[in-house]
Amino acid sequence: MIQLSREPVAQALLGARGIAKRFGPVEVLRGIDLELRPGRILTLMGENGAGKSTMFRILAGQLQPSAGELTLNGESLRLASPHAAHAHGIHLVPQEPLLLPELTVAETMFLGRLPMTGAIFRHVDWKDVRRRAQAVLRMLDLDIDIDSCAKTLSLAQLQLVECAKALLHDCRIILFDEPTSPLTSHEVDNLFVIMRRLAADGCTLSFISHRTEEVLEISDDIAVLRDGRLVDSAERGSFDRARLLSTMVGRTLRDIPRRESSYVTEQTVLEVDGLASEPSFRRIGFQLRRGEILGLAGLVGAGRTEIAETIFGVRRPTAGSVRLAGETVTSKPCHDLIRKGLVYVPEDRARHGAVLSMTIAQNVTSGLLERVRQSAGLLSDADETRLGATAVRDFRVRCAGLDQPLRELSGGNQQKVVFSKWIATGPKVAILDEPTRGVDVGSKEEIYELIEAMARDGMAVLVISSETEELVRLCDRVLSLYEGELVAELTGDQINPAAVSASYLGSAHAEGAP
Amino acid sequence: MSAVAMPSRRRAIAPRFTMTRELTLVAVTVGLTITVGLLNHDFVGAQNLRFMLLNSVVLSLVALGQTLVIAMRGIDLSVAPILGLAAMVCGLLAQTHGLSLAAALPLALCIGLVLGTINGVLVATMDIPPIVVTLGTYSLYSGLTFIYSDGTQVDAVSPTFAAFGNGHLLDVVPIPTPVVVLLVILALCWYVLRHTGFGRAVLAIGNNASAAYAAGLPVTWVRIRVYALSGMLAAFAGLMFLCYTGSATVTAGTGDHIELQSIAVSLIGGTAIAGGRGNLIGTVLGSLFLSVVLTALVFLHVPPIWYSAGEGLMILAAVQAGFGRRGARA
Repeated sequence: MIQLSREPVAQALLGARGIAKRFGPVEVLRGIDLELRPGRILTLMGENGAGKSTMFRILAGQLQPSAGELTLNGESLRLASPHAAHAHGIHLVPQEPLLLPELTVAETMFLGRLPMTGAIFRHVDWKDVRRRAQAVLRMLDLDIDIDSCAKTLSLAQLQLVECAKALLHDCRIILFDEPTSPLTSHEVDNLFVIMRRLAADGCTLSFISHRTEEVLEISDDIAVLRDGRLVDSAERGSFDRARLLSTMVGRTLRDIPRRESSYVTEQTVLEVDGLASEPSFRRIGFQLRRGEILGLAGLVGAGRTEIAETIFGVRRPTAGSVRLAGETVTSKPCHDLIRKGLVYVPEDRARHGAVLSMTIAQNVTSGLLERVRQSAGLLSDADETRLGATAVRDFRVRCAGLDQPLRELSGGNQQKVVFSKWIATGPKVAILDEPTRGVDVGSKEEIYELIEAMARDGMAVLVISSETEELVRLCDRVLSLYEGELVAELTGDQINPAAVSASYLGSAHAEGAP
Repeated sequence: MSAVAMPSRRRAIAPRFTMTRELTLVAVTVGLTITVGLLNHDFVGAQNLRFMLLNSVVLSLVALGQTLVIAMRGIDLSVAPILGLAAMVCGLLAQTHGLSLAAALPLALCIGLVLGTINGVLVATMDIPPIVVTLGTYSLYSGLTFIYSDGTQVDAVSPTFAAFGNGHLLDVVPIPTPVVVLLVILALCWYVLRHTGFGRAVLAIGNNASAAYAAGLPVTWVRIRVYALSGMLAAFAGLMFLCYTGSATVTAGTGDHIELQSIAVSLIGGTAIAGGRGNLIGTVLGSLFLSVVLTALVFLHVPPIWYSAGEGLMILAAVQAGFGRRGARA
């Protein structure tokens, strides 16, 4: 048992009464009552745009509620800023880890709370910074160099550093805004061990997640939001998977089925041969046919995204070749590949996928400007609006209007816009990297149906996913990667959750190895 | 529990506390001095070396403030007229009312504090981009200099000013006073940036302002303070300029484009234009480098109409060399 704080942890009960929040005309939260109790883990569940993150940001002092009040141990609590929230021991682990590229990992963890020393000249106690950063990372069993710059870390590593940061600051109330989505299952297990330990110590925890299995595993209490309202709230014992899903989407979901129809043809459109980009991956070879949906399974860091980036010409290959519709396109620049009919929808939309400050319509059309009618080199607003409106309708983007900046949409709705942008170019081959990351259950099915429709229309689709259920639901064929190498190819009945998971966990190399 | 394997683990490209940039700048500056010295022996004479050193002090003082601002992902164009206004106000008062140096110092600092705070408040609380704010205050403050001076100029200040700007602090060691002052201020700024909470907040904001805000850092307050500090350093540089040259005209600072020079030497010194990284020692070495370049152009009998172009080419070359070493970023 690790000692997480020097003194016995004071107990904190955080309450919310009648919390409401509006952004302009959009009502994001309506009359939310929550109670975060000491020693317990409360999970907020809900579809994208249900208001979970907004609720967390209010609890963490980042947003002010339009109505209602917060209470701490029964007393009214006003959180004017994140600083005030920190002062009350409330720490929010954000959904997208905020990057401080030039700072060291150790300093990142102490951001805003660097230990100071010296009686006359108050200065940063760097020795203490390094010692405590090292200690907390060791406690979490993380192999991260505290002196490396934050820009050299992967998304998963940054996320873990964020979690370490919460522990570091002896916070009694810790809010985890969907921390598990970019983590591998082992990392999630690690996190849960720590979360339980914190709860056992009397800390007050709250957690956002889309994954019903882990919600049922980790929660003590569950609150379900839908369209900004609290629709259900109870102890975990009274929930099961079906009740969770049906309250979240407001209708009863059928079990995720295998796809029945297949649109695979004999015509190969993408041929990857002996592709390598050291040190990420090597000896990757596969063919993708018209109408096929091919899945790439693997742990985070197995090299799947790197393969996609190499095919797309963003990353330099060290060996091998890529052929698109019979033409060799190895390390061609990506704008060439887009023109030839290959698109890549990346995983991290804030970094690569979208311009958050531009409007929905502008984002949708940014990939196909030549299709927007131009006169004298000027883009037609009407065309832009038409294409934007189509995307919003087809992808069921929840927004206030086409000219709303993407930044104001929820994560899942942003992803839908990014997705629609690329599909609108009508590609031959689409590489989708975690197409439903951060997308709620209801919208996921919409996106699956869309991917199926793409295959039916003769597109070849390569889906990278960390969610086994997603691959099972979608794919004609699944390739498994382990540490940069193909270790298995699954087809037909082999594509079931158990076999897919087993194939990339490193323990089942023999199974169906090519 | 077994250790979590980190597949994409990479070491930082460069260790954090190497002095590569500083050493390179020293080497280039010394190399240039020796090369030009071989062509013209007067260039390496004690008098010229002292001149080049002293000449870099005013720019260094301004650029230290600029470095802090840029490290915070801001920019301050108004440093030049702040320098000019402080020099003009102190100079005229000294010339006509016998203002003493001891009184001029707090006066200059107050001018810088007020003008810098105006910049800071506009940037931090009204959320106007810093380049827009300081472009506006650039004209505003140089306008104030014109109004205040009303056509007069400063050319006769008391000898105490000149003694401060050209003398030696200690008779035993012949280091010019301004150089000593600069080194003290450099040490203070370095300490503040590296070891104080305020300094770390400056870098955090430069890296990612929203992350800094979310971490509970007083972003608005820190921004105001940095612009105030930049203003104070510029005004102090104005006083130093007055003491060193013994004169002040309405184009002091703005005439030499000291705002652009201060940005250039910050970048040469290794400060990231995108913020998050500030190298104060590099900034001072960059100022010295620029001073040597400008003097070398004179000694090499380059026609004066080529000075500006030559200076520009050297700045581009120096900044480019710096970026090249950092390598391509994915």
